[in-house]
Amino acid sequence: MGLKIDALTCTACMACELACGYHRDDAFALLSSCIMPYRAKERQNYVGVMLKEEDSLIAARPEGLEINRIGEEQDPDKEADASAKPMLLREACDLCEDIDEGPLCIRFCPVNAISME
Amino acid sequence: MEYLASDKIGIVDLGTGEIAEEELDDDLVLEKIGGAGITKALYDRFADEDPIVLGTGLLTGSLVPGSALGVITARSPLTGKVSHVPLNLDAGIELKYSGFDYIVIKGASDKPVYLWVHDGIADLNDADDLWGKDTWAATDDIRDLMGDDLIQILGIGEAGEKGAELAQICINYWQSGDRFGFGTLFGKKKLKLVAIRGMGLLEIAEPEDFVEDCAGLLSAVRSGSNIGKKGIAAVAATLGEEDIEDWLKPLTHKQMACFNTPVPTNTFVFLDEDPARLEETPVQEPGFLLTDIHPLLIFKKMGMGAADACSALKACAKYGIDAAAVAELSEKGNLSTLEAIQNALPDLKGAASSSGDTVFSQWAGIGNPEKDEWLRRQAVAYIFGIHPVFIRMAPELTEEKLLDLASLGTDLELTAETLDEVVADIIKE
Repeated sequence: MGLKIDALTCTACMACELACGYHRDDAFALLSSCIMPYRAKERQNYVGVMLKEEDSLIAARPEGLEINRIGEEQDPDKEADASAKPMLLREACDLCEDIDEGPLCIRFCPVNAISME
Repeated sequence: MEYLASDKIGIVDLGTGEIAEEELDDDLVLEKIGGAGITKALYDRFADEDPIVLGTGLLTGSLVPGSALGVITARSPLTGKVSHVPLNLDAGIELKYSGFDYIVIKGASDKPVYLWVHDGIADLNDADDLWGKDTWAATDDIRDLMGDDLIQILGIGEAGEKGAELAQICINYWQSGDRFGFGTLFGKKKLKLVAIRGMGLLEIAEPEDFVEDCAGLLSAVRSGSNIGKKGIAAVAATLGEEDIEDWLKPLTHKQMACFNTPVPTNTFVFLDEDPARLEETPVQEPGFLLTDIHPLLIFKKMGMGAADACSALKACAKYGIDAAAVAELSEKGNLSTLEAIQNALPDLKGAASSSGDTVFSQWAGIGNPEKDEWLRRQAVAYIFGIHPVFIRMAPELTEEKLLDLASLGTDLELTAETLDEVVADIIKE
């Protein structure tokens, strides 16, 4: 069981990111979130969603899902954005296991871009 | 101020280069609540020094639906009134988390400078290399220099530098709601831009109850009839403007939301790339983010095609001039082609109605809303930090609910009587 993200439906509003940050910190902050819309390519309007899981870093791109296994060698030709947050250092998604209603990111996404699968 | 705030006001003196800091006192929040309530109070305090005041609402950057809004308050060179420009997209939230609740920029520099705000630090820096650049190039330069593409830029282009009366403060590459000529004020102060990055943390007085109430409010909002509208054209049509969705459709790439705003009020169009493209494009400037419906409506009425109209908006944003005023003056002057409009930008002058007759930007006044009701609703939006277009679409965001949430989040007793007084103070000019 895990999160399913539809990058084409996402409007990059960051509600998921803030809700996740609240789950981590009991305060409003963005730096500890394990989910975040990718908004560094503003001029190109290239928007996806990144999710840190226990063993993987998921990139839900408009053109499809990319799963990067943590610890495995990545494509050396791919250049990381200077502003990419250090997602790998963050805690993995725990599906908000302590919350009866389920993951806060799903609850606060206003356009149903996130669901459980 | 312990909760929903960074507890800091920055006071930047462009004349001396000195930057002072003050705590955000609970008493000021109890008296003025926040957002435009406090930016107006700070404007009044420093009125003799020609201030521009940046700030955020009490609920900006929270899980309250629509909590995207920051505000710039200054005296408009166009209307003569102390007026409020909305900071939407991600500019409001980045300011909220920057370590400053409010920033007063007073005086004038004798050489080009920019203000860099981050992590509770505000620095004035030399902007000689930025002066003369358009808003796009200046945004790129700052982001490249700092190595962070999420920095938000409130900046001027050539229009503001030259003192054009219709100059606009843009947000990154895009048009803002500055219909008041605040870009001219930046130019007069030799302030090229304010760069903002927010990576702070905001404590909540009653976190569980606050977040639960936010979830309930979002649920109520999502049950409303306006949710599901997507993009600048659909939103405008819902609020009573001509429906131009089909006109824009061949260019539409994606509908984009401001921070935590359930209705995406912006539309990204591709002008030099296939709008259906899903992969990242190698084209450096594939298109433009439409954030202001009014110039589009005018350009369409003039008979322009959607691609030319959007290109005209892009030219206005690069030059740093209010596209709504440009559209209105173009219509009056029979400038009906993209080339004619682009060529006219450096010399465009004249009275435009786009600045309106109130202290709030006409940018959000879509579809001719009832004046008195809309004036109060805007004041509430600017005090609490709620997207002013969204608040019109979400009647579930009542004043009572917003006051309850603000009290819950701050542990301060904020009353309807105080809100009445603050609203009256903001709108009286």
